[in-house]
Amino acid sequence: MKRPILPLVLALFLLPLCLLSYRIVWLKYPLLPSVPGETWQLLIKARVQPGVKDIRIEMGFPVEHAGRMLVEEQITSGSLNFDLLRQEPNRIGIWSGTPYLEEEEISYRTLILIRPQRTPKPQSPVLEIYPANFGKEEQALAEHLAARWSRQKPSPRIRAVAKTALGEWGSPPPEDRYLRGWKIVQEKYGRLKALLMLLRAADLPSRVVEGLRLVEGIRTTPLTWVEVWNGNKWEILWPGAGEIDKNPASFLPLATGGLPSLRVTSGEISEAHWSLSQQIISKWKFHFERIQRTKRFLDRWSLFRLPPEFQKTFRILLLVPIGVLIISVLRNLVGFPTFGIFMPVLMALAFRNTGLAYGLGIFAGILLIGYIVRRGLDKLRLLLVPRMALILTLVIICFTVLALVGHKLGLREFMAVGLLPFVILTMVIERFYVLVEEAGIREGLRTAAGSAAVAVISYQIISWEPLQLTFFIYPELLAPIAAVQILLGRYTGYRLSELFRFRTLRKTS
Amino acid sequence: MIFQIARQLREAGVLGINKRNADFIMHCNPRSLFPLVDDKVLTKKLASEHQIPTPLIYHVIESQGDIADLEGKLGSQNQFAVKPARGSGGSGIVLVMDRTSNAFITQSGEAVSREDFAHHVSDILSGIYSLGGLEDRAIVEALIHPDPIFAAVTYQGVPDVRVVVYRGIPVMAMVRLPTKASDGKANLHRGAIGAGIELHSGLTITAVHQSQVVTHHPDTGKPVSGIQIPYWDGMLLMAARTWEMTGLGYIGVDLVIDRERGPLLLELNARPGLAIQMANRSGLLKRLERTVGTPATIFSTAESRVAWAKEAFKKA
Repeated sequence: MKRPILPLVLALFLLPLCLLSYRIVWLKYPLLPSVPGETWQLLIKARVQPGVKDIRIEMGFPVEHAGRMLVEEQITSGSLNFDLLRQEPNRIGIWSGTPYLEEEEISYRTLILIRPQRTPKPQSPVLEIYPANFGKEEQALAEHLAARWSRQKPSPRIRAVAKTALGEWGSPPPEDRYLRGWKIVQEKYGRLKALLMLLRAADLPSRVVEGLRLVEGIRTTPLTWVEVWNGNKWEILWPGAGEIDKNPASFLPLATGGLPSLRVTSGEISEAHWSLSQQIISKWKFHFERIQRTKRFLDRWSLFRLPPEFQKTFRILLLVPIGVLIISVLRNLVGFPTFGIFMPVLMALAFRNTGLAYGLGIFAGILLIGYIVRRGLDKLRLLLVPRMALILTLVIICFTVLALVGHKLGLREFMAVGLLPFVILTMVIERFYVLVEEAGIREGLRTAAGSAAVAVISYQIISWEPLQLTFFIYPELLAPIAAVQILLGRYTGYRLSELFRFRTLRKTS
Repeated sequence: MIFQIARQLREAGVLGINKRNADFIMHCNPRSLFPLVDDKVLTKKLASEHQIPTPLIYHVIESQGDIADLEGKLGSQNQFAVKPARGSGGSGIVLVMDRTSNAFITQSGEAVSREDFAHHVSDILSGIYSLGGLEDRAIVEALIHPDPIFAAVTYQGVPDVRVVVYRGIPVMAMVRLPTKASDGKANLHRGAIGAGIELHSGLTITAVHQSQVVTHHPDTGKPVSGIQIPYWDGMLLMAARTWEMTGLGYIGVDLVIDRERGPLLLELNARPGLAIQMANRSGLLKRLERTVGTPATIFSTAESRVAWAKEAFKKA
């Protein structure tokens, strides 16, 4: 009798497993579809002044990798041409052409999802040669000065070099003539270039980066920092302060390797600014984006291809089987009574509109009113169908009054009450009444509590967004749920409540 | 702890509700045969074809229009029971002991006005008490006058004997004794007492009252064990014959003992409860499993099945 069950269950487990591994291994779906991290909106804006022909404006854009996803990039170019240039490791947007007589606005806007734990490991850079304009003597001077740190490991070496920006060379300090020589170099090339040269002399690969710190705000110029390779990763060195930043993940580079983040080769711009604001954006958007971009068979058959207004329904629908699975568990494994099989799940669906506390409260309140009225109705000796119709009307009157009261009090939850399953509520009132009459108030309350408990659990499950997302991306997960339901259907062992009920029959030897 | 209790119950051969449903009810009782036991009118008809006595039917009320004519149909009968044909668990049953010019006197001495009574019958017809809320019929049948043997351990009402029959073999039995708490109804979940019966002797053994083991009736204070059930062999045979009668392999047979007519088949239940195990302080599964591997010849007649059961279940 049990034989045909196992292959079926096995198939229901294996089939989705194949689909899942195909999606994860070949289509590179996320293993855990929940997207922890933070989302920022970056907006770069500038005004182009009229009057100059053939202007050219270059702007550094953020670069995408696994730890930094870009969504919905938007560019406004007005009457100008726009090109996007990929120049590893940078992405440069170029506006060119001749603007009309009026001032024009150019802008770049994107949503950025930062996932620090997913940031890929950077590749080890090679130590570049000195820039050609550096004299041999200046090189020798830098190498002489750097020789004092040659025994140190990269990390402390970086810190020691950084300190020189403040004029701290450690003790004993180098001879005066070298320091004086270095001052001249600093004046000749600028402090930043001199620092880079010193880093090079200390065998530390480094690069200049322009970008933004990930904090809310508006800047008229991006920040400039130096990234130094410590053998493992880039450390962020503030050339002015001579300090190493403790949190390198909280930066957004716009132009790496000495390029400026905004360069105007010809023309004139004003009011350039970079603004960052943190966004609350659903994780759905990111998956939607990535699935929209590909043409793979399974991607084309993804639920993400549905129009958004229908997607919402399926997010919930796909989790309802889990809700009824819980009811099966509670009834067949635990032996807990509920009103009907599906009522708690329908209640849970209704709670989505009203919220849990209000939903339960409204439910309990209407059940109580319904019960009292039902008791009264019994004396009127009404026939079954008109009596049920009357209770249904009562339920709807209760909804109406609640909505009006809710409107007066400004409680949206009360107005959302219309979506509570009124038919179910009507039937619950009748069943509750019959149960109380036949088996006593205790049994009635126990069943009501059981139903409420299942409704709350189901509600928690169907509102859990990571789970919604998981089932939405991998709807094949319904098959293993069905498999568990089959297994549960074949469970012929004792219910938890029976262990208590039959406890006196135990064989205690 | 949980697994230990579960193991102990399994060793004691206790039948759980999941196993009852999956391995016995679904396995032995084809859905198509359920109407035979769910509708008492059909059951009675079938029983009479198999020479199994049942309480006399006076009248069957088929439609709301028949209600007005009820008085005429009753004739001179002053004592009768009204019950829904498809009711379950004893709900909707009214026992009328006497009639006055404008009221019916029920068993508990309450006077029910003619109007209220008609309303009750109307409720029955509209399906309030029926399984699944389907439209129903109301049966008006002879009142049972219970055998005096149980008088000392009965509070009002009619005690009945429940026999669980598996493939025609009676496997376990109990007598259900109404109490004050059960409002004279012989239903365990309403508070009636269930007293286990030794299959081979027809003597009552232990009893259970609301999941507690009791030795005496809570209202009369008389001991419930050691009562010899009259017509015991006849009742076992009646129970065993319901297999041929219905074709259902796992069935609860409810019998009553009328003072004049002897044992009568009251109703059949295709989903018999499990409380009988507590009344007998013994597991059903253990007995059901003993029937496995019995020679096929035993199943040929009701007599041979009863004889086998009395022998096989002598010890617990």
